[in-house]
Amino acid sequence: MTKSKTRKILSGILLILAVICLVVGGINLPKQTGTAGEDILQDLRVQTLLNATGDSVVESYVAIAKKEATAKAKEAGGGMAEIRDAVAKAEEETREKYSNAETDYSQIETSGLKSAITVYIDSIKDYAETEKTARDAYIAEHYDEAKAALDAKHEQMLAAGEEVNADEEVVVDMSGFEPTKEMEEKQAAAKETYKGVGKEVQGIFPLLDDAALETLEGTVEGILYQAGDNFALQYDRYTANGAKNVAGSAKVLRYADDLLFTAIFLIVLAALLLYYELLVAKLGMPRVIIGAFFVLLCFMCLWYDLSLSTLLSNTVVRMGMNAIMVLAMVPGIQCGISLNLGLPIGLVAGLIGGLLTIELGIPGWGGFFFAILVGSVLAAICGYLYALLLNRLKGDEMSITTYVGFSIVSLMCIAWLVLPFKSLKLRWPLGTGLRNTIGLDNTNFRHILNDFLAFNIGSFTVPTGLLLFMALSCWIVWLFSRSKTGEAMLAVGNNARFAESTGINVDKMRIIGTVFSTVLGAIGILVYSQSYGFMQLYTAPRQMGFVAASAILIGGASTSRCKISHVLIGTFLFQGVLTLGMPVANVLVPGSTISETLRILISNGIILYALTKSGGASRG
Amino acid sequence: MSSEYVLEMKNITKRYGDNTVLSDVSLSVKKGEIHALLGENGAGKSTLMNTLFGMPVIHNTGGFEGKVLLDGEDAHIMSPFDAMQKGIGMVHQEFMLLPGFTITENIKLNREITNSNLVSRILGKNLESLDMAAMSSDARKALDSVGMGIDQSTKVQGLPVGYMQFVEIAREIDKTGIKLLVFDEPTAVLTESEAAQLIKVMKQIADSGIAVIFITHRLDEVMAATNSITILRDGKLAATRKTSETSIVELAELMIGRKGEAVVETDKREVPHEKVALKVRNLKVDMPGERVRGIDLDVYEGEILGIGGLAGQGKLGIPNGIMSMYDVAGEVELFGEPLKLGDTKTALEAGIAMVSEDRKGVGLLLDRSIEDNIVFNAMQIHGDYLHKIGPVTLKNAKAIREVALKMIKELDIRCFGPLQNSGTLSGGNQQKVCIARALCMNPKFLFVSEPTRGIDIGAKKLVLETLVDLNRKQGMTVVIVSSELQELRSVSDRIAIVSEGKLVDILPADASDADFGLAMSGIKPSEHKDGGANS
Repeated sequence: MTKSKTRKILSGILLILAVICLVVGGINLPKQTGTAGEDILQDLRVQTLLNATGDSVVESYVAIAKKEATAKAKEAGGGMAEIRDAVAKAEEETREKYSNAETDYSQIETSGLKSAITVYIDSIKDYAETEKTARDAYIAEHYDEAKAALDAKHEQMLAAGEEVNADEEVVVDMSGFEPTKEMEEKQAAAKETYKGVGKEVQGIFPLLDDAALETLEGTVEGILYQAGDNFALQYDRYTANGAKNVAGSAKVLRYADDLLFTAIFLIVLAALLLYYELLVAKLGMPRVIIGAFFVLLCFMCLWYDLSLSTLLSNTVVRMGMNAIMVLAMVPGIQCGISLNLGLPIGLVAGLIGGLLTIELGIPGWGGFFFAILVGSVLAAICGYLYALLLNRLKGDEMSITTYVGFSIVSLMCIAWLVLPFKSLKLRWPLGTGLRNTIGLDNTNFRHILNDFLAFNIGSFTVPTGLLLFMALSCWIVWLFSRSKTGEAMLAVGNNARFAESTGINVDKMRIIGTVFSTVLGAIGILVYSQSYGFMQLYTAPRQMGFVAASAILIGGASTSRCKISHVLIGTFLFQGVLTLGMPVANVLVPGSTISETLRILISNGIILYALTKSGGASRG
Repeated sequence: MSSEYVLEMKNITKRYGDNTVLSDVSLSVKKGEIHALLGENGAGKSTLMNTLFGMPVIHNTGGFEGKVLLDGEDAHIMSPFDAMQKGIGMVHQEFMLLPGFTITENIKLNREITNSNLVSRILGKNLESLDMAAMSSDARKALDSVGMGIDQSTKVQGLPVGYMQFVEIAREIDKTGIKLLVFDEPTAVLTESEAAQLIKVMKQIADSGIAVIFITHRLDEVMAATNSITILRDGKLAATRKTSETSIVELAELMIGRKGEAVVETDKREVPHEKVALKVRNLKVDMPGERVRGIDLDVYEGEILGIGGLAGQGKLGIPNGIMSMYDVAGEVELFGEPLKLGDTKTALEAGIAMVSEDRKGVGLLLDRSIEDNIVFNAMQIHGDYLHKIGPVTLKNAKAIREVALKMIKELDIRCFGPLQNSGTLSGGNQQKVCIARALCMNPKFLFVSEPTRGIDIGAKKLVLETLVDLNRKQGMTVVIVSSELQELRSVSDRIAIVSEGKLVDILPADASDADFGLAMSGIKPSEHKDGGANS
């Protein structure tokens, strides 16, 4: 009673805070692009500009003071040593005096300068745009050349047995780029407007000479304009470059978007608190915890200005590529062998299917389906034998499946070395055996599902084919569970004694479930590989069974019951936390290899957590 | 201070929560006498003995009220070890012997006779060497006293069951200072001659001054061996008798008693006996704890046959055996057609349905919805409630929902709807789901095993009424297996009593308490009357 009351009060406070944030942020966000924002920026620009030029003014003062000191010392008839001392002293004093002097900008009439700056910015913007179009045209012209060069390089690297980064971007060599005439004209015009700015600055600092202004041009340009500027970027740049006199309202304006994010976060938090019991009852504690963690990561991505939509897009892709392997857990759990940690059997079968496709050089969709077919047949055979083993060892499936999984991976480590594949894409160039990592390319089935009907919403890419394939697989598994055989299989998993009392052949159903699971594993690894762009042999499949098992456990399944929704929720949360967690960690602890460490920590941590929750959600 | 009684348990009351399992029970055992403790299953014998031995299950649930006196002194027995120290021994029903050890080692386990040696002088008593010669002679003595000529260095593994029982007894006798020995149904697993031998040994032990508590359900043995008798019924003291002053019939009556009114009222009618629905010959079922050792039984079409008997006597083995849930042998004919044993599916396809006694373990898919549970068998066996699209089959959700709603209404299953998980239902409603599933098969023959176990009185009535209804209106032949005799008597036409895996007799529902009591202890009432008391 009191607990729920405290929760209500807390969530009320959070909601009020959220509303405040929402209102303040909501009022201020549109202002960023409006006149108010422009005024603030203009003010900051002036400060920054004066600060930058002011430095050179100080230098001028120093020069003058030095000169005077020298003259004075000479007059006093001092020797070289005295002169040097006097000059040093004068320099020090002058620097002291001016650099610590706070310029009172409010006393300076800056309206002229402001308008000059506006004119100047417009003109460099104009120039920058012209340059960009020119460069884009140049890149478009030379793209094919560069791509061919890169492919050739990859080919070479593969032949040499090196690992290839499939995501390496095609970079067009810009050394041949010549400025166009238009660009030159615009540049000249910009220079002209800069003189206007210079004049105004000289009006404020009469000491600045033209030469000093000339040298300052580059700095000023860099400060005042950069490609892709928005309010927040400019604000940050100006404050970093010496604009100190910032009004509180300007600060609020700057962080308006973050305020909005905070508001959303607070609302989510408040809702979580308010409906805590309902959520826990509906979803179960683990999903609430990991879901909340995921929301927190989303928020941190926004706060640190990471591209959330790209990250979410990645999450969706990774969900799609992993989902089939997670789905492979479903028939296993349903037929009563609990978590099929012997999934690597299926994975290896799928990999062999993929290797055969490359070996035979079957391109495109045909190749992909050939790989699935071969993989499935192999998986079915191996799965059947595996199921016979499991039927003899009822009751200890978890440890048996784990060991079988490990054993098959180790066994295949030998097999990969001796299998008689001929293709140079697969073999080490020297010696025998298959490569560790086999890069897929467009002649195979690389991204064949990902790119099928894919489209973009902003920076969010929807991998339509991948999602469709995932949905189709889930649908088939769901349909199967509603067939007569599926029902019988479910009953075996649920309560083997019950199934026996209904005259169901328990062993047969367990074989069906295990074979189905293994076949799904084979298809799963192929879907994974086509999205990843590589097929990984040797020890790579060892961990995948655990990853899949954890995902479905996080989704709310137990070792004895599961639903398709558990697969989808679990895979999304698992991959989401993993995808979002690393960039956030990189921001939090910059310049370290923490992300790799964290990746291992997070993924293994989730696995461990999931296994402790293998009891699953409460009966709904 | 000495007393006439070795053990006095005075006004013992034990509650598990609100459930009173023993109320105001007293038990007094004299020195050197054999005292029988009688009662049906659930009468409170085990709880009383657990109290005596200070079992954790008693102390962890709030202890008990009343007093336990040993030799007239208040004995606070807090643990089984404590009980052993105070001279109370127990011969268990399930043998607690190490099969890989010799008889000597088993008898002397944890009470070994040891000699100190060099190592033990340095490293402590645990490393002393065993004095095998002394142990062997002790074991010999103990074995002789129970009349066993077997070599004491034989391994327990592979000994006949009866011998193991005697080794257990020898072990208890070998303990010094033993005052009271409890025999928990020692003759249940013995052959007749072994049982006679055991009773002889028991008498020897009593003659040597040790008091014996003899728990059994074999009334003839009680008459043969004991001096006095305490009978428990429903957690209460039913009577205390001197053996010489009572008769086997009186004991049977006292054990069964009248337990309130009939649960369900049924009309008296002529027992159908024209056509045999199920003919069972020499049925043997290897169901652990409920072994059936050769039963012949005829069930007539249209009757309700009750099968009763004490727990562990094999009554549950009959339906489970015919449904081939366990290893089974024998001949079964259903409506004149021979039924192949060994395959559950065949039995189901032949039109037999069964409601299992183990609702949660066997009877239900606890994680599935009510409707899935109800149609499961019909779907798997008859292929009902399915869409067929070529080789592919799919659940016919609409038909399933219809039949589920119909069953929920007809059987009054209290639930939120057909989608509620059966695991969240109360016991009575779960039982109704089980019955609904059996009914979905449109069976010609229905086995119902322990239909009212663990469900409340209202649900009990409804379940039994449903069964009677099925029998009267649809003419379904029903066999009800139950430990609740009263329940069987109120709904059955005839009641078969099973004891020790064999059919004792088939009695009419209105037979006397004494007859049922006798039958349950394995004595055919008619023979008893003919041949007089066995004592």
